[in-house]
Amino acid sequence: MSMRPFSRPWHGWLLVAACLAAAWLIRTAQDQIDARQNRSLVDPDVLYFSSPRAVKALALGYDGLIADVYWMRAIQYYGRRDEAARRQVRYKNLPALLDIVTTLDPRMLDVYRAGSIFLAEPEPLGAGEPLEALRLLYKGVSLRPLEWPLRFDQGFVYYLYLKDYRRAGQAWLEASRVEGAPPWMEGLAAHGLSQGGDVETARYLWRRQLEGSARADVRDNARNHLASIQVDEDISTLEFFLDKYAATHGAAPARLEDLVRAGFLDHVPLDPSGVPYQYNSATGAVTLSSASRVRYLEMPDNYRKTIKDNLARTFTAKTSRHQ
Amino acid sequence: MRVLAIAGNTFRETIRDKILYNLILFALLMILSSFVLGQLTLGYEDKVIVDLGLSSISIFGTLIAIFIGIGLVYKELERRTVYALLAKPVHRWEFILGKYLGLLFTLVVNLVIMAAGLVLTLAYRGDVPLQSCLRLIPAVYLIFLSLALTTAVALLFSAFSTPALSALFTLFLWIIGHFNADLLQFARTTKSAAAEFVSGILYYVLPNISNFNMVDSRNVIQSAAYQEPIHASAVGWATVYAVLYCSILLAITATVFSRRDFK
Repeated sequence: MSMRPFSRPWHGWLLVAACLAAAWLIRTAQDQIDARQNRSLVDPDVLYFSSPRAVKALALGYDGLIADVYWMRAIQYYGRRDEAARRQVRYKNLPALLDIVTTLDPRMLDVYRAGSIFLAEPEPLGAGEPLEALRLLYKGVSLRPLEWPLRFDQGFVYYLYLKDYRRAGQAWLEASRVEGAPPWMEGLAAHGLSQGGDVETARYLWRRQLEGSARADVRDNARNHLASIQVDEDISTLEFFLDKYAATHGAAPARLEDLVRAGFLDHVPLDPSGVPYQYNSATGAVTLSSASRVRYLEMPDNYRKTIKDNLARTFTAKTSRHQ
Repeated sequence: MRVLAIAGNTFRETIRDKILYNLILFALLMILSSFVLGQLTLGYEDKVIVDLGLSSISIFGTLIAIFIGIGLVYKELERRTVYALLAKPVHRWEFILGKYLGLLFTLVVNLVIMAAGLVLTLAYRGDVPLQSCLRLIPAVYLIFLSLALTTAVALLFSAFSTPALSALFTLFLWIIGHFNADLLQFARTTKSAAAEFVSGILYYVLPNISNFNMVDSRNVIQSAAYQEPIHASAVGWATVYAVLYCSILLAITATVFSRRDFK
């Protein structure tokens, strides 16, 4: 006798319909339960294992693979800007993620190097945690003492983010003593130790990052910084000569080209993306055009002041020579 | 000779169990990783491929060792095929050894094919010279040793327990085998002579799987990923450990199996 699952054919269909109805009811029930939960109390930005030692123990010998997974997680965590903007703290778990990666695999040099920039950059570009960046780099230096780039990066963070020029100079001096360090490191150390805080050193450092890094994101960041320094320099120069023009002609010029005609400038500079600056003759303000493709990063206040001071010095020297 | 005949049959049996399907999964994993990783990670693509490849080889191998190992003897008993075999002039230890070697051979075939797949993936990316692919060999060999030990453990349980319990026991022992060093650490923190004594014994009695993951306090897979040499003497000691431990396990398994009363 053959076995038939149902005595009547429509019984099968009835069962299918009942299952579908039950599935629909489950969904309704789940929605009801969800509606009663206060989801806003749950922090979605949770790192279930934040202890590097715990993760290492649980890796069961697959340390390298787990380090790779956490590195990719860190990149995604940092790279998803929209998602980061919605978090309560933009990059709360970034230090822990990088700590886990470097504990599982202390040899991933890029993790210290790129990670320290992710951490040190002010919000919204980074976590705005230069001290965490230094902690990561110090960990790198203690585990990989023969890697001069890590010491160079320490100086970088001290110099640009913490404005501690003496410590930056010391870090570069230590870097210069490591075998294989490039000859320019000593000069940089001397510069950091002697003065510090000037635009040219900042520009030099970002250029080193741009040329020295194999990572596209680090190079992009350096490029943006260099462009922003250039913008600051251009705008400060234009504003300086606009003031001079007003002082000699009694009124602000109608257009920036008037500065060239008056002999203050050889040409009107374009921004680094090749777009002219916007000039408001009523207020005398020079700004980046909305059509500009420069991703302008707010530079420290003293940059524009330093640039203007330098210009004033050069201008006074030039005019006194002419006289 | 009889051992080899049993081993050959065991190998054929595992192949008939469609065990080599895992190779397709592995191949897919490798191909996908070589394409997708560029999108997910920044830098370290080759390192990630080696990490992923060697870890998969180890994980797939361990799963095969456990889940085939536990069924080897049990299945023969269940299907009563063991009676036909043992009625012939075959010693029970020969049966156990044959089963063990058969599964080991399956694992070797798997390992070789997967390692070749990994090398091909690296070669396809084109940045890795063949010379550095040779650096993978010690790592793959150490993974093989750990699989040999896991198989011996699975076979031991398989000789007297059900497959489900054997799988559980083997898995537990495999996990514990990664934490042996913690036993000594634990004993030191308790500062009790008795605890230290017991921990000391357990440390040597339990299978130390981490011997094959960590060599000279460096992770084997990571050493391969960074193309660092693994010392021959370290590999030698790991081999000695594996051979001795597996021999003892097989001897116990054979003894247990010999004493079983088949009805």
